[in-house]
Amino acid sequence: MLSIVKLSKILSGRTVLKDISLEMEGGSVVGLAGPSGSGKSTLLRCIQGLEFIDSGTITCQGSTGFLFQDFQLFPHMSVLDNIRYAPVHVLHEKEAEASAYKLLQQLNLENISDVLPNQLSGGQKQRVALARTLAMHPDMLLCDEPTSGLDIVSTQDVIQLLQSIKKMGVALLIASHDLAFLTTIADRIIILKNSQLVADLTPLDWESDVGSLERYY
Amino acid sequence: MTGHFFQYVSFISHGLELTLLLTVCSLFLGLTGGIAFVMLRYQKWSGLAVDGIVSVLRGTPMILQLNFFYFAIPGLLGLPIDILTAGICTLGLNSSAYVAEILRGGIESLPKGQFEAAKTLRIPRWLMWRDIILPQVFRNELPTLVNECITLLKETSLISVLGGMDLMYRSQTLATQKFDYFGPLCVAGLYYYALVLLVTYAGKWAEKRWCYAVHR
Repeated sequence: MLSIVKLSKILSGRTVLKDISLEMEGGSVVGLAGPSGSGKSTLLRCIQGLEFIDSGTITCQGSTGFLFQDFQLFPHMSVLDNIRYAPVHVLHEKEAEASAYKLLQQLNLENISDVLPNQLSGGQKQRVALARTLAMHPDMLLCDEPTSGLDIVSTQDVIQLLQSIKKMGVALLIASHDLAFLTTIADRIIILKNSQLVADLTPLDWESDVGSLERYY
Repeated sequence: MTGHFFQYVSFISHGLELTLLLTVCSLFLGLTGGIAFVMLRYQKWSGLAVDGIVSVLRGTPMILQLNFFYFAIPGLLGLPIDILTAGICTLGLNSSAYVAEILRGGIESLPKGQFEAAKTLRIPRWLMWRDIILPQVFRNELPTLVNECITLLKETSLISVLGGMDLMYRSQTLATQKFDYFGPLCVAGLYYYALVLLVTYAGKWAEKRWCYAVHR
């Protein structure tokens, strides 16, 4: 589904990603961990095409959706409009309206469909952002720090939502520094450190060796 | 005294139509031109040219531009231009340069993520400008745009230099006829001030109507 070969990215003369190679299958959930400034967000942005790459290749079969750390909801549009705008205007879906309402129901947002984003809590904004991305039927969802700034309840909420998205067959690549969160949802965790990919771990690794993840920080 | 005052009001009020017509048409041209300038400015191929035009329009006196449109261009092309057209072109184009800069400020102050969010949702560029970026910019910059509208309204008085019979021209005509500058100029001033207050209150109403919900 996603194949990255020897990807390098230089920003302002500093190498932020160096020779990153990664394979990812459809429907899988991969966690992207690492200390702050290790290049997690930049890697996601490169995959989404928000950043130019300096060398290497990125091949992605299917469409991608991007969940921003700070949500980036359109502040002048209601929750419903945020969700249905792109399906209506880009995909020209006849049933976009019905799909948007279905998503609102699935994500418990039906009571706030007319509300503007600035009246929502962090957890609600995250759900709206997720609904907006899912409305475009992505094959793969790139999540940049989806639990950042959320309280425990909202974090649990996000975990449940991402698990339900996983069940829908959407591949997930989640960048987060929250290892506890990643271990609850990921099939694999990749560690980035000093701009390089330093480990590719499976649940077997971190369950048999507690502290195997923290070691890389 | 009171009799004179009402005479002045009656005579000068006939200039109101031209002042308003000039303001409304120039405002329309200023807004559409400003939007066009700012959108072209973000295109690779036209950015420099737009910067140049905006710089010239902002960097030369409006009275010079007015004379240029009324005397120089017709002389060059051999096409006579009437006072109203010259006034609308000058005020509208000059205003469009300022509106473009106001909108540019608004665009620069928006989070980069708004453009990126539109891109990740595969929203076409023109729809992104129309439905995502410009509505936010207009809301954020409404007070500054209202200010530009007020400036434009007052600058319409420059048309009197060419003989356009607006509020200013009629007050000056009356002043020279009656050898009384105080009364006619006060009446014209009151007209302008009333119009400015009207625009100010309309702006505040629009701000409450469109901006309050988004910013609170």
